[in-house]
Amino acid sequence: MKHQMAKKMVLFSVLGTMVAMVFMASSIIFPLPLLLVLAMSIGQGIAIFALALFLLAVALDLQSSGGSYIPAEEPAAAPEPDPGTEAPPPPSP
Amino acid sequence: MLQLHSTEQLLKAIALACAVLSVGIGAWYLIRRPHLHRVTKSLLLLGLGVFPLIVSLTGNIASFEYTLTRPFCGSCHVMGPYLRDAEDPKSNSLAAMHSRNHKFGENSCYTCHADYQMFGAVTTKMNGMRHLFKYVTEYASTGPDGEGGPPIHLYKPFKSEACMQCHSMTAKKYLEQHADQVEQMRSGDVACIDCHNEVHPLALTRRISAKKEEK
Repeated sequence: MKHQMAKKMVLFSVLGTMVAMVFMASSIIFPLPLLLVLAMSIGQGIAIFALALFLLAVALDLQSSGGSYIPAEEPAAAPEPDPGTEAPPPPSP
Repeated sequence: MLQLHSTEQLLKAIALACAVLSVGIGAWYLIRRPHLHRVTKSLLLLGLGVFPLIVSLTGNIASFEYTLTRPFCGSCHVMGPYLRDAEDPKSNSLAAMHSRNHKFGENSCYTCHADYQMFGAVTTKMNGMRHLFKYVTEYASTGPDGEGGPPIHLYKPFKSEACMQCHSMTAKKYLEQHADQVEQMRSGDVACIDCHNEVHPLALTRRISAKKEEK
């Protein structure tokens, strides 16, 4: 549940950052007074909010995974055998 | 090939490069939608944190530098007559003569109109915000060069301190030429532009004509 929420938050964070970057870049390319003021206030506000959202998402994700390391490519670990059952005998040579 | 001639251009180039990288990382995430493992988080930290911070810092500095230049001041259409006069190589107005001086260069508006005090840059930029508000609310829909809008005026009298950044009141030649007014000048009762008033002749004409129209 928390993992799904974190993914959504990251998605919004990415979208927000992209909007802020386009806003700020356009004010650098076309430095008109109104655009400059808007980009450097609203644009930076969006970027800061997006970064905060991303950090919160990372914190949520770590909380849901118990802070454990999830490798990128390795498959999930096999479930541990039931302690009541005996381990299969080793293959004979 | 992009050529960088000033610190401002270098900062702009860095800001744009970081913005492109940030958008690139964002686009990669939106297209691939990878799991939130360590590599993804590290890349996103770059794309959503480090690069935007660099864009913000360098963009702010570059933008601030640009706001000091004459083209920026002249980018509002009401400033048209002032800009044309300042850039006219044949004009003998004080604004044009100072703009031709390489010590002023592109920053001639700011050099003379900035407040000369410890936090002068801050107070000047706060005034700039006021200019912008006035422009949007009173001049945005006016005709060419702001015709039809209210007459343009300074918020407070022009102080001689701006002139004295370069023109010393203790120089021998100055004392010889201004023997009668030295004390009044130093006390602030008389300002430089009370006599040397050919600063923005076009603007002055416009202001007088505007007042006549009001009457």
